[in-house]
Amino acid sequence: MADKPAAQATQDAMGTVMTHRAFGPQAREAVAAACEEVARVEGHLSRFLPGSEVSRVNRSAGIRSESVSHETYDLLAQALEVSRRCPGCFDVTIAPLVTLWSQARESRTQPDAASIQHALSRVDYRDLILDPGSRTAGLRRAGQSLDLGGIGKGLAADRIVEVLRGYGIYSAYSNLGGNVVTVGARPDGQPWQVGIQHPRHETGLIGAVAVAGQTVVTSGDYQRCFIDRQGQRHHHILDPTTGHPAHTGLISVSIVTARSVTADPLATALFVAGLDSGFACLRSFPQTEAILVDSNLHVYVTGGLRSRFRPAPGIDVTILN
Amino acid sequence: MIGWLIALAVISVVAVTGGVGWSRLQKEHQEARSLPLDAVDFGKLNDGTYHGAYAGGMYKWRANECDVTVTDGKITGIQMVGSSDPGGKNTQHEALYDRVIAAQSLQVDTISGATLTSKAYLQAVENALLQAQGE
Repeated sequence: MADKPAAQATQDAMGTVMTHRAFGPQAREAVAAACEEVARVEGHLSRFLPGSEVSRVNRSAGIRSESVSHETYDLLAQALEVSRRCPGCFDVTIAPLVTLWSQARESRTQPDAASIQHALSRVDYRDLILDPGSRTAGLRRAGQSLDLGGIGKGLAADRIVEVLRGYGIYSAYSNLGGNVVTVGARPDGQPWQVGIQHPRHETGLIGAVAVAGQTVVTSGDYQRCFIDRQGQRHHHILDPTTGHPAHTGLISVSIVTARSVTADPLATALFVAGLDSGFACLRSFPQTEAILVDSNLHVYVTGGLRSRFRPAPGIDVTILN
Repeated sequence: MIGWLIALAVISVVAVTGGVGWSRLQKEHQEARSLPLDAVDFGKLNDGTYHGAYAGGMYKWRANECDVTVTDGKITGIQMVGSSDPGGKNTQHEALYDRVIAAQSLQVDTISGATLTSKAYLQAVENALLQAQGE
């Protein structure tokens, strides 16, 4: 590894810390360009930046559709596709609920039932209207709002891969706050070994998966959780049907596939769906594999990962076929 | 009038000092965050105990030293033997050491599902492990 020029950069973006590491003659320029690309994508997608395309669509909710870039249009179309194939498990119009639970985290007080119902009444992906002819996006009702927190990092990851390849990079990985994307294999020709965070031991791994040119995205109930004043713990993956953090028996879901824009929303959707419905939903996405961990810390791995997943010592694995 | 001038002078001095201090603090933080640990090939470690030292960031605030023990080609222990970090008395470094030991047991390149925070402690560990890797 040491004889190949390597470069690494770390940046704060999209509410998390990202690290890009690349090997190749232009590695330094490539990782700098990757950082710029992430900032560009965030500039389009963040609902917290008033000038973003998503903010424009949100401001015009119930009034009119707004024209958006090809990139944002395709991303919204992909989000709707996941919503249709995994009904009730993924919804980009979830912003009112996310806002409500963010306030709950700040005040460490669980939202009351009426507030949840009010926010929930505004969440419905079928109200996101995409017109391919005019390339516009609009929300049917006032008060509705998009939040791309469950898919935006996926687009950023896929764009990083394109940018790195443009610099002739044949070996690289990026870690976008826990969403991993790889270019090719390691410089020594072996696949990248991507560890899967142990959902209950901060310093441990539940296992590792070998990948080359694929992405590994994990959603877990241990990320961004808070404990309210009554001592009850709440995590950040919201069920768009109940309006509460999802409790379906899974505590961590990792998706392994070619494109991060598929893996990112699917990790959330499967978490919300639970083991059985999640596996059914996954089957409608070809060449997409998953590593699921239930609340007993039992690990389920889809058939395609049989020889690529290595559990940590003491972890039991069931292969799903 | 003179009272106002003195007050203004005092405020200016405080503001400038604070500003310079803050920018130095930021630089040190930036440096600490971008420290890598992946120059190490966990598959090629020779047995022994290796001493690693990190001189600290630009202002030497996070200088620290550790001993790393390799047994049967695996890291079996990491001991801190000195630190100039004002916050080094807490046990944060132990969690980081545990993470290094966990990562090497599966020899991973990076971790999905974890927001990684590299710390200066890892640099001393890396410096020790580079010796363990041998020639």
